[in-house]
Amino acid sequence: MPSFLPSPSISSSPSLSLPSTPSSSCGPPQATTPPLGVINEGVAELSLVIDAEVAQRACQEVLQKVKLRQVDSDSTLSQSEEGPDAPPSDPEGPAPGSVKSARRRQRHNPSKQSWLLRLFESKLFDVSMAISYLHNSKEPGVQAYIGNRLFSFPHEEVDFYLPQLLNMYIHMDEDVGDAIKPYVVHRCRQSISFSLQCAWLLGAYSSDMHISTQRHSRGTKLRKLILSDELKPAGPRVRRDPLALTPFCPAAPPTVSPGPLGGDHSLSPTKRTHQRSKSDATVSISLSSNLKRTASNPKVETSQDEVTKLCRSFSSLYRPVRLAPQREFIKSLMGIGKRLATLPTKEQKTQRLISELSLLNHKLPARVWLPTSAFDHHVVRVPHTQAVVLNSKDKAPYLIYVEVLECENFETSSVPIRIPENRIRSTRSVENLPDCGMTPEQRAGSFSVVPNYDNDDEAWSVDDIGELQVELPETHTNSCDNISQFSVDSITSLESKEPVFIAAGDIRRRLSEQLAQAPTTFKRDPEDPSAVALKEPWEEKVRRIREGSPYGHLPTWRLLSVIVKCGDDLRQELLAFQVLRQLQSIWEQERVPLWIKPYKILVLSADSGMIEPVVNAVSLHQVKKQSQLSLLDYFLQEHGAPTTEAFLTAQRNFVQSCAGYSLICYLLQVKDRHNGNILLDAEGHIIHIDFGFILSSSPRNLGFETSAFKLTAEFVDVMGGPDGDMFNYYKMLMLQGLIAARKHMERVLQIVEIMQQGSQLPCFHGSSTMRALKERFHMSLTEEQLQLLIDQLVDGSMRSLTTKLYDGFQYLTNGIM
Amino acid sequence: MSQVEKKAGLLRRTSSSKKPLKEKVVLMYDEIFAKEDPAKNNPRFWDELFLMKVNLEYLESKLESVDGEDVQRIQDNINSLFHHCVQALGEEHQIKVVNALQTLCALFRGVHQKNKSASGFDIINMLMGFDKAEQRMKDLMERLDSLLCGDSSESLKSLCLKLLLCLVTVTDNISQNTILEYVMINSIFEAILQILSDASSRGQHGYDAVVLLALLVNYRKYESVNPYIVKLSIVDDEPTLDGMGMVVHQALTEYNRQYKDKEEENQGGFFSTLTSMVGSMFIADADEKLSVQTNEAILLALYEAVHLNRNFITVLAQSHPEIDIAATPTTTTPTTPTTPLGTTPPSLDMMSNPELPLDPNLQTSNLLITFLKYASIVMQDTKDEHRLNSARLCLIILTCIAEDQYADAFLHDDNMNFRVSLHRMPMRHRKKAVDKNIPSRPLVCAVLDLMVEFIVTHMMKDFPMDLYLRCVQIIHKLLCYQKKCRIRLHYTWRELWSALINLLKFLLSNETTLLAKHNIFHLALLVVNLFNMFITYGDTFLPTSNSYDELYYEIVRMHQVFDNLYCMVLRVSTNTGQWKEAASKVTHALVNVRAIINHFNPKIESYAAVNHISQLSEEQVLEVVRSNYDTLTLKLQDGLDQFERYSEQPKEAAFFKELVREREGGLF
Repeated sequence: MPSFLPSPSISSSPSLSLPSTPSSSCGPPQATTPPLGVINEGVAELSLVIDAEVAQRACQEVLQKVKLRQVDSDSTLSQSEEGPDAPPSDPEGPAPGSVKSARRRQRHNPSKQSWLLRLFESKLFDVSMAISYLHNSKEPGVQAYIGNRLFSFPHEEVDFYLPQLLNMYIHMDEDVGDAIKPYVVHRCRQSISFSLQCAWLLGAYSSDMHISTQRHSRGTKLRKLILSDELKPAGPRVRRDPLALTPFCPAAPPTVSPGPLGGDHSLSPTKRTHQRSKSDATVSISLSSNLKRTASNPKVETSQDEVTKLCRSFSSLYRPVRLAPQREFIKSLMGIGKRLATLPTKEQKTQRLISELSLLNHKLPARVWLPTSAFDHHVVRVPHTQAVVLNSKDKAPYLIYVEVLECENFETSSVPIRIPENRIRSTRSVENLPDCGMTPEQRAGSFSVVPNYDNDDEAWSVDDIGELQVELPETHTNSCDNISQFSVDSITSLESKEPVFIAAGDIRRRLSEQLAQAPTTFKRDPEDPSAVALKEPWEEKVRRIREGSPYGHLPTWRLLSVIVKCGDDLRQELLAFQVLRQLQSIWEQERVPLWIKPYKILVLSADSGMIEPVVNAVSLHQVKKQSQLSLLDYFLQEHGAPTTEAFLTAQRNFVQSCAGYSLICYLLQVKDRHNGNILLDAEGHIIHIDFGFILSSSPRNLGFETSAFKLTAEFVDVMGGPDGDMFNYYKMLMLQGLIAARKHMERVLQIVEIMQQGSQLPCFHGSSTMRALKERFHMSLTEEQLQLLIDQLVDGSMRSLTTKLYDGFQYLTNGIM
Repeated sequence: MSQVEKKAGLLRRTSSSKKPLKEKVVLMYDEIFAKEDPAKNNPRFWDELFLMKVNLEYLESKLESVDGEDVQRIQDNINSLFHHCVQALGEEHQIKVVNALQTLCALFRGVHQKNKSASGFDIINMLMGFDKAEQRMKDLMERLDSLLCGDSSESLKSLCLKLLLCLVTVTDNISQNTILEYVMINSIFEAILQILSDASSRGQHGYDAVVLLALLVNYRKYESVNPYIVKLSIVDDEPTLDGMGMVVHQALTEYNRQYKDKEEENQGGFFSTLTSMVGSMFIADADEKLSVQTNEAILLALYEAVHLNRNFITVLAQSHPEIDIAATPTTTTPTTPTTPLGTTPPSLDMMSNPELPLDPNLQTSNLLITFLKYASIVMQDTKDEHRLNSARLCLIILTCIAEDQYADAFLHDDNMNFRVSLHRMPMRHRKKAVDKNIPSRPLVCAVLDLMVEFIVTHMMKDFPMDLYLRCVQIIHKLLCYQKKCRIRLHYTWRELWSALINLLKFLLSNETTLLAKHNIFHLALLVVNLFNMFITYGDTFLPTSNSYDELYYEIVRMHQVFDNLYCMVLRVSTNTGQWKEAASKVTHALVNVRAIINHFNPKIESYAAVNHISQLSEEQVLEVVRSNYDTLTLKLQDGLDQFERYSEQPKEAAFFKELVREREGGLF
């Protein structure tokens, strides 16, 4: 048994906590935090200063207790005693039922917890269970243990439950808070983005408290601590690992300027922009300047050698900017939203948006990033003319596209150098395009096609329109028709002696063919500017924006998009996202081919945030308004005849997504399901957006939308009618989905339940929210009964008059078709 | 002694009606114009001089009254005065600096007034003395530079700029102002840029700075290497370029506003609209009153920026709400004069985003829109020389814009839609367009509208041939861009086609009078080639298949014009004469248009005959066109999508020389 004892090394290095626990599932900490691994190790001293002592003491206490009990009941620690329904070492997997029953037993039978330790230390103990125990356990020791145990989980897995963790921190008692804090503080030290994420969430979830308590609440204090930028990575332990440290510790500015992970901007043109690179160095040093703290800590300073002293001299030169740029970036995006809301027309909003963004562009590139993105990057440019105002009655949500350069680590990689807007041509020099599919001869050939323009040897050189032809290989997609045009051009200019004849009919035919070839686009409508922007295929948009961007030639260039919401509370959206994610992974785990698309939500405060847009998707409203077709006809137009593979694939996608979202709508009681809130993507999936009315809340309580989910006749038509195979498939998918969801109900309930704590969100209105949610999983029904239930739900929804009524209502009030 | 004199000065101010006692400063001036060194008797003479309020009039008149021989005599003293002026600029005492600046201004002006015919060298000699001139001017420019860049008071900076402007404009022809050689060597370019980059200083001195820059760029621009040209062409600091754009934008906006005010004044009320409807004979008078002095200096600055600096093109599209720029809250650009421009680290100044004022009624505008509006006003009336020059400059600027790929990109950007209300000349046969109904479109539509508007409104006896040429070339350049980039602009091309056909018609009917002055065949060739662009490359840029049919319809409908044109050019090209060559080019260019007419006319006639219709409807003609494409063969013409790039030299050099000369006359 001694091997179960937590190693005392917890105290010195939480990131290496519980090394002796057999939690092989969670790999070594270095692997989970690759970029900053070196620095992490040094964190120990500082987290110790904060709270780790308490946590550690508590943790040791509980484990001591547990150990004693284990010795007592050593002989009785057999499966027979635990009963068949909850064996902690159950090889079948951690059935949620087992957790539940385990907890039940824990409450009823607190003296017998020996199995608990085994559960905690088994490889089946995952974050979900940890969160659940943290929430439900009344035992400070258990809470403290779990608090420490958090260190051993991979970051991404814990990050998923960050809203839950922080909400518990804010609204639950001291013990839970104390258990969570060390972990949060530790992670904040490591990562700027985690820091900001925490600060935003803490602010948002504290907002429901009374203002007087809020000011002094734990959440507010922690938020202040984070935003004060005090939580920085502790000084690297020079003694322990001096070699690994060197890249972060600049000996002199020149060695830093390429950035520790250098080379990522080595392709960017440095002509004329050399002034910038100097300032760039300052920024890239900012991280090392954080070493100031270490230097000021006398205890650590003794262990520092000259390198640190050098660093200290740097930190006095450069003011550290850690959280500031990103906060300012977000603040300015929100400011734009606020100002847009005051403008009366869409057109004015759009114009203002474009002009505001063009001003924002002047501040870029900077050490800022989009938190909704999955990879590290720096924002380099906002293609302002591409931004659109979204449809909303009184708020002004808007969608922006953001050009970023992928980097290894946005905290340490150097910020890219600014390239002026019109420097598109100069950046597209030959050496930057090694694979543009054209040999030098061809290039020369294409050059000779441009014999025009007398030499203008003034300050600006011959290029512009003339050079466009040289750049043509860039535009791969329409290269074929370029070539045809090309040949005509070159014939005329090279062999002008021979008259070339062309048929007028050919010109006319080419015109209509090319117009027909172009993918169906929506007509520009000043009242609905987003329709056109959203209809354009994403790939196409990326290509187009890349071509027009001065950064487009860089290999790490990526395009992202984000919806900025100002004046909207996204906490419910975040809750819905989490539930959707959870269900998605449950269905994946259970191999049910239901399709849903959870889109990322960033809560910035109780009334602002950002949403990751669903690409290649337009709302059903826009589809209907622009195409003036029924949904089925639109499918036929977009995907082809009913027997084609393209159509069948699209139809299957439609059915699978319909089934997924029908279940979601039923389980979460998603309301306000008008056609503006349902998207259709290019592959035929539907995607529900806007989870503003879920669980206990519904819009204006008009009593509309009593059906379980939205299933209009049009939907059924796309599925091939109520008697078709696809429709049966739809119902079968729903049944399978519900059975799978039911099996892992706890994982879903837990997310909702924790967020209910201290929340004033309308979705938690009333006292029966959780009970009703639980009931919708129908734990007591047999599978046959469930099937019946599904049939009833589907029938009810199909026949539902209220859906139609609600659409009509929306059309009257909001003009949504 | 000085105490008494000062009292006398005070006395004079209070009792102005009496015969003035001589001011102390005047006495001191007199001393300077005496033979003796004024400092000989009074070692503190120069110190005291700059403490006195300058009497510009007296000093200038004194300088002018100096006779040829006296010049030699007093030259030492004047040199000395100049020298001490320059030194006084370095004084801490602001009064002294102000007085020195004003004295210098008077010196430059006075000496030039007196010696209009004298060579630049004589003037330099008189002011500074040959041997010391270089050092003196270096000191002067350095002092001015540090005054402009330092944190001296705004009025002082303003005075510095005024002095520089005075120096630059003191001769009729800037290129003959030899002193400017020293301004070339000792550049104040950076100081000008700094003024433009800072919001508050830009608000106060932006206009002067921009005009000064424009003039300096034009100093001997064709004869020597002008460092200002070189420097201006490589500026890439965005705040500075933006600042320059803002100044121009504001000046043009102000002009547009004044014009609009006057216009409203003139047509205010029901009665005036009635009279203008009844008898348009008054319109001409009203128009005269409407003319607001055009702002050629600013336009010249805009031209130089667009022409020389390619980074400036981005500024054109930089949108900001149409507002009084001075009212914008000052940008919190950290004023660190020691750091070179543009080195502020991007993340540090992240988000000093100047908050734009909130006014829902404001239409977002940008420099290009304002410029287009301005051009539409200026181009309305090209009768007087100033406006003709302004219109020409506007068209030259548009030519530069149309050639720039980046500019073309944003002109055609489908996401940047604007309502641009161009001013249209009131004409009898058309109503004034209602501003409200202007659709929001890409900016290139406004440019095309402006060109069409010009084409239809300037067919007059005193034919502005070169403006027409520029106009047609701008259209051609835009079409070339659209063809190359496959941009299908939703524009009512029909208006352009009919405007061009009408232009041909006008050329034909005024052949004899026009030929006396102009080569009309060149213009005709350009116009016909525009049609050839549409005919041969229409598939690459026309918005709909219908628009191609409409093109044929329009050509066939107006075939008389083309027929007549062909007859005319054929006649001229078969005769020997100076136009033979030019005319024969047009005959060749007409080959496809004629093929279309000859192909479709019989088809349409037979259709009418078969169906017994005397007058075919448009739809019927289009039907005939559509069904008969396949039997028509066209000839591919050479180089339709190629154009001559704009180059200032040598073609435009004379114009700019003239413009600058004239400019300076009317500047102050």
